[in-house]
Amino acid sequence: MLEITNLHARVEEKEILKGINLTVRPGEVHAIMGPNGSGKSTLASILAGKNDYEVTEGSVEFNAKDLLELDPEERAGEGLFLAFQYPVEIPGVTNTYFLRSALNAIRKYRGDSELSPTEFMKHIKSKAAMMELDSTMLSRSVNEGFSGGEKKRNEIFQMAVLEPTLCVLDETDSGLDIDALKIVSNGVNTLRGPERGVLVITHYQRLLNYIVPDFVHVLMGGRIVKSGGRELALELEEKGYGFIEEEIAAKA
Amino acid sequence: MLDIKIANDPLLLDYEDRVRVNAVNGPEWFSEIRSKGFRAYSEFGVPTIRDEEFKYFPLNGISDWKLGHPYGVTLTREALEATGVGKIDAVTLVFINGEFSPELSSYDALPEGVFVGTLAEGAEGFEQVVKDNLAQIATYQGKLGSTNDPRFVELNNALLSEGAFVYIQKNQTLERPIHVVFVNRAEEKRFTVAPRLLVVLEENAEAKLLESHIGLGGDYLSIPVAEVRLAASARFEHDRFQQETLSAYHISNTFVHQEGKSVYTSNNVNFGGKSARNDVNAYVNGEYAETLLNGANVATGDQVLDNHTRIDHALPNCQSFEIYKSILKDNGVGVFNGKIFVYEDAQKTDAKQTNQAILLSPTATMNTKPQLEIFADDVKCTHGATIGQLRDDAMFYLRARGVPKAQAEAILVYAFAAEVLDKVTIEEAKSALEAVLFEKLA
Ligand SMILES: Nc1ncnc2c1ncn2[C@@H]1O[C@H](COP(=O)(O)OP(=O)(O)OP(=O)(O)O)[C@@H](O)[C@H]1O
Ligand SMILES: [Mg+2]
Repeated sequence: MLEITNLHARVEEKEILKGINLTVRPGEVHAIMGPNGSGKSTLASILAGKNDYEVTEGSVEFNAKDLLELDPEERAGEGLFLAFQYPVEIPGVTNTYFLRSALNAIRKYRGDSELSPTEFMKHIKSKAAMMELDSTMLSRSVNEGFSGGEKKRNEIFQMAVLEPTLCVLDETDSGLDIDALKIVSNGVNTLRGPERGVLVITHYQRLLNYIVPDFVHVLMGGRIVKSGGRELALELEEKGYGFIEEEIAAKA
Repeated sequence: MLDIKIANDPLLLDYEDRVRVNAVNGPEWFSEIRSKGFRAYSEFGVPTIRDEEFKYFPLNGISDWKLGHPYGVTLTREALEATGVGKIDAVTLVFINGEFSPELSSYDALPEGVFVGTLAEGAEGFEQVVKDNLAQIATYQGKLGSTNDPRFVELNNALLSEGAFVYIQKNQTLERPIHVVFVNRAEEKRFTVAPRLLVVLEENAEAKLLESHIGLGGDYLSIPVAEVRLAASARFEHDRFQQETLSAYHISNTFVHQEGKSVYTSNNVNFGGKSARNDVNAYVNGEYAETLLNGANVATGDQVLDNHTRIDHALPNCQSFEIYKSILKDNGVGVFNGKIFVYEDAQKTDAKQTNQAILLSPTATMNTKPQLEIFADDVKCTHGATIGQLRDDAMFYLRARGVPKAQAEAILVYAFAAEVLDKVTIEEAKSALEAVLFEKLA
């Protein structure tokens, strides 16, 4: 469903992605790990359509469409969802209003009719319950004054409401307490299914105990330098990134 | 008696005739206020952009208008209700082109210790209260600095006729909101109208009032003056909605006098007028008082929306918070001038002023001038101004969730202004204002 080929991107004069290749098929969960500043969030932002980055080479196909040609809202309409590493605060717009606008826009994009207010409320109430989200959060402004963990939980709540087909999670686990980590993982696992792809960016193997990946990739210096199964995450946890650097040096 | 300059002043045309009509309303002693106002205004005449206080507010458009007497226009209840705020459940006083409309007003069955009615009625029942306050609060006398320009206050005094009077006695709370509606409609003739409002709250009294200025057609000049006196521990919410016609001029002056521990909240909403100018002046003459001045402005087309605020902190331990927001589209012009005077005695003053503008087109402009004059040494005064476009990160967040660009913009613009409307606690007024805002931005 997602095919990234030789993707190069830069911001201002600085080259950040230097040839990423990655394929996600429906039903698969991929984890991306890598040191700080290696380009993980850049990759996620480019997928979602942030225009701060200039793609200089390569292509991204999503559902057989050229993803890079689509506006961010069209990507969401196609089924892409990015859970932000740093969710944005929007004072004056309630969570409920925000989600209703988003859900109805996506439905419209797909040619479905808008949900009635009652149907909508029923839908978000059930998702809020699943995410154990306090119902007062729904009437508060989007992320405004939310704690770090609450913001992350709110991202996954939004994802549950919008039911995307490709979920990209950028460090959703950082800032979560132990219970919240379970709730969030459970939310993601509920969405797992044969028609959905998941891409989790994380620094910690712990999350992968809950959201068990089919593949683990290591992103370093703007390239995927190593891929493997879930055991790769355990190895990284134990040895750090140093051993991969050595492997690369040895090959060179 | 009139010299040449005054005889040619478009705002004083037929002045002597007008006074004869105006004198029918209210007591004999109003004439002193009128003649004092006339003399003071006549010294200067219509301001030009060379006058510092009117630098961004060109009035040359009205210099060739012939502005006559506004009276004689009627309005049906349906027409009133068709306006955005025409159906609010409140103690209501309606003035049509300055003329009181008993048919459209409803102000009976008021609780003990509460008076809401016309100035003339008030001057009968509470002569001394009206005498002590009318044209007494609206003055710069005895205040620091000299840059304020009182000429439209003087002109309103010169044209004094009908008006609204609210008087809440000691320890009384009026639960129902008050709505004072000034509706203006110019037919063939252009006119000047001088709406007037006087509010007096005694010790520990409380009330909420919406002051609406609604234009239903034509070119005219409205120069309202509102005076508010809050005795110790009184609490007053003063919501103000200005939606004159897009060819009208609106120049308002609000003066507030606060005693200790009183709380004054002004929510000042401006969507109308070809050019609209509002001055809100609060003189805080007691300790531990709070002054909250909020403003939401939306200018489209060629509108000019000019807001001047002034807070005089004369005594210690008071707080003031001020947030003025403007949304400027097309060739819209916004002006904000915020003066804060902290007098020598006013130690421990805590004053915060914020001014924010969003420019939605490259030809929209905002002029901001904070003016803090501090003569005490132990005070906390801050001001901040931001002028910009919509936040990129918020735009991207909305779009990444599927909301199309134009809709995302509309949501963010609405939210920006709605933050101020949210401070209105008269629920029906708040939803009415939100609906008008929505329409204005569409
Ligand atoms: N808008 C930008 N302007 C300048 N530099 C940027 C910009 N965005 C990203 N970078 C740089 O690109 C590099 C990659 O950043 P990115 O956020 O993708 O890293 P990351 O792998 O997500 O790191 P972390 O694990 O800390 O979240 C960093 O060196 C960062 O400073
Ligand atoms: Mg990152």
